[in-house]
Amino acid sequence: METLVEIHDVRKVYKRDQFEIPVLNGITLGVPRGDFLALMGPSGSGKTTLLNLIAGIDRPTSGRILVDGQEVSSYSETALASWRARHVGFIFQMYNLIPVLNAAENVELPLLLTKLNRKQRKQHVENALAIVGLADRMTHYPRQLSGGQEQRVAIARAIVTDPTILVADEPTGDLDAKNADETLDLLQRLNAEFEKTIVMVTHDPKAAGRAKHALHLDKGVLAEGQYGYEAEPAVVRT
Amino acid sequence: MRFLHLIRGNLFRNKVRSLLTVCLMAAIFFFVTTLLSILATFDNASEASGVDRLAVQSAISLTTMLPYSHEQKIREVPGVAETAKLQWIGAYYKDSRNFFANFAVDADKMKAVWTDYAIDPAQFEAFKADRQGCLVGPELLKRFDWKVGQKIVLKGTIFPFDPQLTIRGVYYHPVNVSSLYFHTEYFREAGLGGQGLTGTVWVRVSDTRKMAAVSQQIDEMFKNSEYPTETFTEKEFQKNFISMMGNIKLLFTSVSVCAIFMVILLAAITMSMSARERVTEIAVLKALGYRPGLVLGLMLVEFVLLTLFGGLAGTLAAKGFYQVFDMARATSGFLAGFRVYWQTVALCLGASALVGIVAGGYPAYRAANLSVVDGLRKVV
Repeated sequence: METLVEIHDVRKVYKRDQFEIPVLNGITLGVPRGDFLALMGPSGSGKTTLLNLIAGIDRPTSGRILVDGQEVSSYSETALASWRARHVGFIFQMYNLIPVLNAAENVELPLLLTKLNRKQRKQHVENALAIVGLADRMTHYPRQLSGGQEQRVAIARAIVTDPTILVADEPTGDLDAKNADETLDLLQRLNAEFEKTIVMVTHDPKAAGRAKHALHLDKGVLAEGQYGYEAEPAVVRT
Repeated sequence: MRFLHLIRGNLFRNKVRSLLTVCLMAAIFFFVTTLLSILATFDNASEASGVDRLAVQSAISLTTMLPYSHEQKIREVPGVAETAKLQWIGAYYKDSRNFFANFAVDADKMKAVWTDYAIDPAQFEAFKADRQGCLVGPELLKRFDWKVGQKIVLKGTIFPFDPQLTIRGVYYHPVNVSSLYFHTEYFREAGLGGQGLTGTVWVRVSDTRKMAAVSQQIDEMFKNSEYPTETFTEKEFQKNFISMMGNIKLLFTSVSVCAIFMVILLAAITMSMSARERVTEIAVLKALGYRPGLVLGLMLVEFVLLTLFGGLAGTLAAKGFYQVFDMARATSGFLAGFRVYWQTVALCLGASALVGIVAGGYPAYRAANLSVVDGLRKVV
């Protein structure tokens, strides 16, 4: 299976005042196209940082990251923004919908950066909301939706541009069991039915169990014995 | 246009705060519009001056009078078409609050020197024929509810006489709308006890290209006399007259700038709060691919619209208010002809947009350059 995300010896060090805090210490791995990967680990293990690097909202201190053959770690801020708009769909723990926009307007946000006209954008928004089962909630504002519905709107926003990869940071962290289940069902469906590559950070072993694969990080390195995938080619390189 | 709903949503995100900001802007721009309109009234008074007129006054000061003989000599200067004596009287009607500009003028030469004043020929003839007749501006007529033919008595302040006059007509001028003119002869006999003195001599020049030469020649002629003169164009004369009240223009401009500076600071606080509240949302937009320049532009448009609404409300409120409120009456005729010009409205709108850019610039810049990771960390 083709490797979509390639990470080569990536290190990330944060500077806080005079202190240097290493977060990732030489991560090397690959994520095949069409995979549903869960990143697990205790707080401070570096899983969200790794997700941010894959999504192009942060840059490694050293090392290379390639997504779909493009070395995103070398992109400028502006180029990265354009790349994210085309290739990355984000799903956050707190949904992060814009409260002053209704569901359809929230989903439309990434499309405003494209050349699609109003009618085409409307069509895409309707499709995305239909996929997540909220076609009848288009004009509802976030405050008028339940947490589960908000997360589904956020997922619709993430998929509306048909991105190359979906990144989800604790997508069920703020949901009750039922809504968490529904959200994970939806992610599984996006992976299976629409062949979306998904990288998900989670604390929850049950959520991780819904992914095809799970990797554990601890103190900025991949835990031993967690490098291999069943999928070919083996995507973890050391 | 495609980001309109995002801008609109953010504009009315916190309705109370937006409303208060707009009200604050409106109040300050009402005040600034008033000050700038007063300045415009002054400017207009001097801009509307006759281009072919010179004012000759004493070189010592405007309050020092010149002998009548000066007028005769000035008339002999080549390039002088006509001359007339004009004296500021400084009287008021009934009460000292009812102050307005009133002058003694050579009635027979008035039309020849002040050619831009329109007067009904019959009324002008009646004025000339009556030694105690007077001409009044339309605003005065309205202010005191006077009628043509009515007898009025003014109370003198500078000179020890109270002019007893009969209104013989109304003059019309685009700017000077509330002055009163009566006969020099009446003033000489009743006010000066027969002395032949006048405050100024006004000159209409036959060729406007020779204004400077005529002016120089007049002053040269009286340089070594007991009454040396200083000659100005009418525009310069008006400006000097206004500046006798102190540097009003500088004062009003300074107050306007201070008011705008104050509103910038207040708006900056509001906008910083607004930007800070939205750190996570801005980070989400940037994560979705919104470039820093676009985020900056969206926020600036929002902030500028907010201040522009306030500026528009305040300026248009001032325009409407002063159409009803009689500023001339409220200022005892000092601001006769006061109005809010559309140029002033446009200037205030420009200033309010500038307030949005200056006040919102820094918060918007910070938001645009916010690290996505730092912004998301707040809740993720």
